[in-house]
Amino acid sequence: MRPAIAQYYPGDSLMHRLDPRAKFVAVSALALALFVRDSFLGLAVYAAAAALAYAISGVPVRWFWRAFKPLLWLVGLTFLAQVVFARGTPFFSFWFVHLSWSGIELAAFLSLRLVVLVLAGSVLTLTTTPIALTDGLAWLGRPLRRIKVPTDELALMVTIALRFIPTLLVELDTIMRAQRARGADFRSGGLRERARALVPVLIPLFVLSFRRADDLALAMEARCYQPGIVRTRLHPLRAGRADVLLLVVTAAVIAAGLLV
Amino acid sequence: MKGAGKKAGRAAVKARGGADAAVASPTATDTSAAGMGLACRGVTFSYEEGREAVPAVRDVGFELAAGGSLALLGASGAGKSTLLQLVRGLDEPEAGAVVLDGVKPGGERYAALRREIGLVFQIPELQLFAASAREDVAFGPRRLRWSDERVKEAVSAALELVGLPEEKFGDRHPYALSGGEQRRLALAGVLAMKPRLLLLDEPFVSLDPGTRRQLAGILGRLKGAGVTIILATHDVDLAWALCDDVLVLSAGEVAASGAWEFDAAARDLLVRNRLREPQLVELWRRLGRDLATAPRTAAEAAEALA
Repeated sequence: MRPAIAQYYPGDSLMHRLDPRAKFVAVSALALALFVRDSFLGLAVYAAAAALAYAISGVPVRWFWRAFKPLLWLVGLTFLAQVVFARGTPFFSFWFVHLSWSGIELAAFLSLRLVVLVLAGSVLTLTTTPIALTDGLAWLGRPLRRIKVPTDELALMVTIALRFIPTLLVELDTIMRAQRARGADFRSGGLRERARALVPVLIPLFVLSFRRADDLALAMEARCYQPGIVRTRLHPLRAGRADVLLLVVTAAVIAAGLLV
Repeated sequence: MKGAGKKAGRAAVKARGGADAAVASPTATDTSAAGMGLACRGVTFSYEEGREAVPAVRDVGFELAAGGSLALLGASGAGKSTLLQLVRGLDEPEAGAVVLDGVKPGGERYAALRREIGLVFQIPELQLFAASAREDVAFGPRRLRWSDERVKEAVSAALELVGLPEEKFGDRHPYALSGGEQRRLALAGVLAMKPRLLLLDEPFVSLDPGTRRQLAGILGRLKGAGVTIILATHDVDLAWALCDDVLVLSAGEVAASGAWEFDAAARDLLVRNRLREPQLVELWRRLGRDLATAPRTAAEAAEALA
């Protein structure tokens, strides 16, 4: 049960306490700067900033590694593609492969940039609960309501979806166990057989999800949920001095990276 | 039941097989050959939850003779479901072993014995998937690679046994059945595989009284046919009516096991584990009668009081 990018790591560090909106804006700005700036020196500044933020978050390094591992192939692929296809003065050529120092340099730069990007992104996702993140995004998306984008409803949908992922995973596990107890085999056979073996799992899971969605809709209506009206919050998002500081520091880091 | 580590020797209530007399007639029992014997030895297992391992069952040991019936009691989260799944082999114990018919884990013979264990999950109707009742019940037998003829027979017998005769229910869509019928259909899906050891995880949850009674009757018949049964439940009255032995799990460990006992210590143990003594036993106690003769069913009580 490991999500692809990163999972929330419970904690009480400064990074955890920052407002999700501030964190989201800071990380987005940093990501943008990463793509604009194309020197190793700039990259080093951003990498240092992201690493510092990660260190402040107090999340063990292996959690970053866990989040990063599934993306290794992407980094590797980026590197290889650049090495093989980049233009430059080749010092080695064979068929379609032309190795040049400038190509290797570019490949290293692009791969490192990806690593820094994932590092910055994981500070955000590791220190922010998905629900807080959704709330923050809904707030940031508010201007879109003027052009009739139902941002609050979308945010609620995402929140509900996130809320039910663990539940569904537990149910998936139970159903698979039950069918295994009846002799189902999910581990052997060809691709076709394995896909077929999933039918007795997916049908109950679908039926269950729809039933649950029905129940949830009824329960929400019973608690007076109405789409399209402004809902108040028990815990409204509150930005403080630390959040302003984060944005100022981020701006300074971005500027420094662009100027060096 | 003996407190773990304590000496036995209290007035054990003698086992008297059979469920409700009205439903326990040992007819229509085309289930299986004799039951399977089971011995758990020091079975230990923990779940990985986030960053730490949470122990679920610890050093669980008990024996159940072929054809025996055991009520597995314990508060929610005591490890009942985990223990059942370990016995069926859906998880492997970290330590200890589940011995089936005297055969230790490993080897082809053990694997074959495992396939003769039926496990009915909690709310098993959630696992129905086929387009007809017949097809759903046939799923297990087909996985056992039985001949078409044998599958057909097994499906028909299982449907009959749970009171959903094939002629009437075979073509029905599982989701078009009532809740109680769905529960019995799911049970038929397990019974069709002719288990010699039947594990049931809270089979009576959210059933109406009529279906409970029906289900208790089915279990009584299976027991009469010699199938070994482990019944994990919170329903002490049905556990008392159906099972000869009892095992109380407390936070993953065996708190007591053996024949039923209802002296003050045993009663206290039940209460501490968020259980209670069966109502008929309480009645006997309040009437000042010998608890060794406590009735298992209302019919038995009526007979004794007449």
